Amino acid sequence: MLHLEALTKTYRRGVRANDGITLHVAAGQVIGLLGHNGAGKTTLLSQVIGLVRPSSGRIRLLGRDPVADAAWARTVCSFQPQDQAPLTGVTTRQAIEIAGRLRGGSRAEVRRRTAELLADLDIEEWADSPAERLSGGVRRLTAFSMAVVTPGRLVMLDEPTNDVDPVRRRLLWDQVRELAAEDRAIMLVTHNIAEAERAIDHAVVLDHGRVVATGAPADLAAGREMRLELTTPAELTPPAWSRTARRDGDRLTMTLAATDAAAAVTWAGQHTGRFSLNPASLEDVYVDATLVA
Amino acid sequence: MRLWLRSYLLLVRWTALRLRFMLPMFLVIQTFLAVGVVIGFAFLMPEVDPATALHLSTGAPTLGLIVIGMVMAPQLVAESKSRGTFAYNRTLPVPRTAVLAADLTTWLATGLPGLVLGLVTAVLRFDLRLHVSWLVGPAMLLVALTATTVGFAIAYAAPPTITNLASQAIVFIALMFSPINYPADRLPGWLQAVHHVLPFEHMADVVRDTLTTPASGIGWLPFAVLAGWCVAGLAITLRVMTRRD
Repeated sequence: MLHLEALTKTYRRGVRANDGITLHVAAGQVIGLLGHNGAGKTTLLSQVIGLVRPSSGRIRLLGRDPVADAAWARTVCSFQPQDQAPLTGVTTRQAIEIAGRLRGGSRAEVRRRTAELLADLDIEEWADSPAERLSGGVRRLTAFSMAVVTPGRLVMLDEPTNDVDPVRRRLLWDQVRELAAEDRAIMLVTHNIAEAERAIDHAVVLDHGRVVATGAPADLAAGREMRLELTTPAELTPPAWSRTARRDGDRLTMTLAATDAAAAVTWAGQHTGRFSLNPASLEDVYVDATLVA
Repeated sequence: MRLWLRSYLLLVRWTALRLRFMLPMFLVIQTFLAVGVVIGFAFLMPEVDPATALHLSTGAPTLGLIVIGMVMAPQLVAESKSRGTFAYNRTLPVPRTAVLAADLTTWLATGLPGLVLGLVTAVLRFDLRLHVSWLVGPAMLLVALTATTVGFAIAYAAPPTITNLASQAIVFIALMFSPINYPADRLPGWLQAVHHVLPFEHMADVVRDTLTTPASGIGWLPFAVLAGWCVAGLAITLRVMTRRD
């Protein structure tokens, strides 16, 4: 559905926000863009929707060029920007319904879908409250609903779960999976890696505008499925089975293959009584990838 | 075209919802302004002759339109830029011209009640007899449109702090140093020359001429100058709205 080839964006003041990014997104796929602040995630989304013009490289969206036809790109993409949506003077329901109608939905369909989203995200109690007075989390969920009430073929969400409470974050991820089940492509930016791991099919780790790691969360962790953490002041040399190692004060964290787990426990037991061995998370992959780069 | 119209109507509704709490405040400000000009300014003069009365009473509605278009509108655009509304609207699948047209419509509608109030105040105070031309509608529309598009151009092109400063400066220039409430020949020559280019004097002229229909006829030059400012304002605003980094 979306193909990026060697996409590069250098801003006028010389900042290279995207540096040769190649990426393919298929219908029904949820892509998670991970990376530090300033890694180029928002710039990437802004180019797809035609707000930022690439310096070089190519974008194909549904077989067309969104750079040349930005107005068309905005009709097939739904975008939830990172900034809070403008909610002055409207209620949550009004904001979602107007956004849905502006995105081309019929009156009846938008009304039905708005009620459904309010219920599914559990924000019905604020449906008819002035939206500008709501908490940051509810406003964020409103902005999410505004983006997906009449969803495009490609849905782009820039940090959709910021400020949202843990229970409603899960509800939001459920909605993301439902959108993917309808054969839409979803590209989302998040710092909430532990949760995103359950929602995304494919992770892309960006660092200083480059792709430093990419793959399914499980594949990215392949060969380093386990994480060993031990607390010791001693300067230990990581053994041969350790794939990555990083030290933070007294704490040493290593990743390793599942088959080396027994050796790791023996080794750790020789040095300290304070250690733990857990399945590695996408967060470990992310931290390692961005540390190496 | 259907998409444009549909987007336009929805955006008007959205903008109107956003502005409806401010509307009473705008009305109060415009009324104060009109009363201030018509009644307050008269205190500055030892005696109010018919020419002065005419300038004050036709200047009041002109100033009302300037304040709405070149002060209130840009300040709200500046605020919407700070709040991210501007950036958000850019991501919506609606034609940019529809966004601009919807904003303009809302602001023109906002200025209308104040315009009528200003005029009524003036007529009551000075017991004026106006000879209203059929051109008064297009003239008022042109003045309101020019004030608002120039206001938008400033607000879209400049950072919010500069916009707020500029709109404050415009109030003072329009109120004190522009031949809106008094004849242009009271100004020094160089300032008269400046006002041949700036839109303020021309705004006052078209409003006064179409309300009184002078014997010499209604001049076309002020209309042409205002149209020029209006087109420039629109061009700059659209340029900023469609710009890509």
